[in-house]
Amino acid sequence: MSAIIEARGLSKHYGQFAALDQVSFELQAGRIVGLIGRNGAGKTTALKAILGLTPYQGSVRVLGREPMHERSALMNDVCFIADTAVLPRWLRVNQALEYLAGVHPRFNRQRAAEALASTSIRLDSRVGELSKGMVTQLHLALILAVDARLLVLDEPTLGLDLLYRRQFYDTLLNDYFDKDRTILLTTHQVEEVEHLLTDVLFIDRGHVVLDSAVEDLAQRFAQLTVAPDKIDAARALAPFYQRELFGRTIMLFEGHSVEELRPLGELRTPGIADLFVAKMQAVAS
Amino acid sequence: MKLMQTQVRREFWEHRALWMIPLSIGAALLLLAAIFKHINVSIDNAPPLDSAPRTTLFQLGLIGWALPFYCAAIIQATSYLLDCLYGERRDRSILFWRSMPVSDTRVVLTKLLVGALLVAALAFAAAAITSLLTSAILAARSHGGGIVINSVQVPVWDTLGWLQMQALMLYGLLGAILWLAPFAAYLLLISAWARRAPLAWAVMLPVLLLLLEHMAFGTYYVARVAGGQLGEFLATAFRLDGQTARSLGGAIAAPGTALGQPRFNLELMDPAHLLASARLWLGLLAAAAMILAAIRLRRYRDEA
Repeated sequence: MSAIIEARGLSKHYGQFAALDQVSFELQAGRIVGLIGRNGAGKTTALKAILGLTPYQGSVRVLGREPMHERSALMNDVCFIADTAVLPRWLRVNQALEYLAGVHPRFNRQRAAEALASTSIRLDSRVGELSKGMVTQLHLALILAVDARLLVLDEPTLGLDLLYRRQFYDTLLNDYFDKDRTILLTTHQVEEVEHLLTDVLFIDRGHVVLDSAVEDLAQRFAQLTVAPDKIDAARALAPFYQRELFGRTIMLFEGHSVEELRPLGELRTPGIADLFVAKMQAVAS
Repeated sequence: MKLMQTQVRREFWEHRALWMIPLSIGAALLLLAAIFKHINVSIDNAPPLDSAPRTTLFQLGLIGWALPFYCAAIIQATSYLLDCLYGERRDRSILFWRSMPVSDTRVVLTKLLVGALLVAALAFAAAAITSLLTSAILAARSHGGGIVINSVQVPVWDTLGWLQMQALMLYGLLGAILWLAPFAAYLLLISAWARRAPLAWAVMLPVLLLLLEHMAFGTYYVARVAGGQLGEFLATAFRLDGQTARSLGGAIAAPGTALGQPRFNLELMDPAHLLASARLWLGLLAAAAMILAAIRLRRYRDEA
């Protein structure tokens, strides 16, 4: 199985600033990958390079195509929401359906109409008349009705309330995702997507700082709530992150065996959010 | 074909004025014809019309009735072409359009097709239909009257005259589109390039060029060439008295000069002269270059 996305030495400079610096990664089919990083870390730049929206240095192949030069052909198999609120205000909902049915060979109008029927969006409304959350719902309903091989979502639930967010991720997982599809998404709310990701890609200041399958995280990382008398012993094993919480010391380790750590305190697998915070601060220090 | 159709329809959804304005003008003219007993039109500097042939008078009326459509079309085409590639960047909807499997080349060419050809085609169709309906209304009226040019009554209908005029207008429009293509392409390029205020840029750049020319050489060559485009076109595409066409310029040139001719017949067309004009082909070449530049801008510019 060849990679869905293959980036080699991907770089992008804005003047002196390197938004991406020699980044390499691969995405396999049937995965849900979270691209996670702080604001300005290079997430959006990476997505834009993948989608052929920005020129770059290095090599990127998406479904075997070069996105910058074959964007329109690529968009038959790739769907994306690069930003919320980019649907034009003058567009009517039924015009949006009509338009996609006319230009997109993989668009299932029936499916989009059904998705919209479960919302309060009316077919004759203009985008400008809808609330921000409804616009996002509309955009998602359109995009999820396309039978794409790769779906790229940049902050897809921004501006949606908790109920809609939950609904959206449920739809994504239950109705949309299958083994032939790949989803690449970025979000600020890591906790919300933690349970659905199969892979994580942490990016910071233009570099990939972690690229791992979620199932491998448990073997690679450990979070230790250190017993008070074992702090020095634990510190000797060189944790990459340490913090105090309610008077207890929590340390994160990479590449140590369970046998090594268990005598030193309470052991568990860190969540993606914890890991992200730890990794970012480790890089910063 | 379906893709093309959808792309074109999308342009008309966004720019509703494209079809609403010709429709409104048509409705207004029909209302005029229905309400007023006489619609007086005056043409300055025209020789006495009393002895003009019936058909010529009818055709003059047709031109007068079509002028509002064509004047509006020029304004509409200008504003559409200036806005079409800028607007999608201003409201960031370009990120939605570019997520569709439609190439940048196709998008830009569709917009050019709409702005240059379809606007003109709509104006032509609306003018033709309006003239038919106007004649029908005038013929159905019991109290007579109708269109009056320089105090001379215009006949209500003349089949040959109508057909000849439609052919002349169609030829004139197609010729004008080719002739003015570099201007359309220039507007499209400004629309693709300007980060804000495309209209200001579109006006400023030529004005700057004028000033530079005047400061460097003390001449107004650019201004004269640009200002004489329509007259130059009429003199090239039609067998008119060239000097008159140039000096009058604009749309008035055709009726004004043709008064000296027996009538507006097909012999006025001079396509061989038009197609042999170097200005036409140089203009088309420049248009092609600017359109390519607009396509490249839409394709490679980073909208981050």
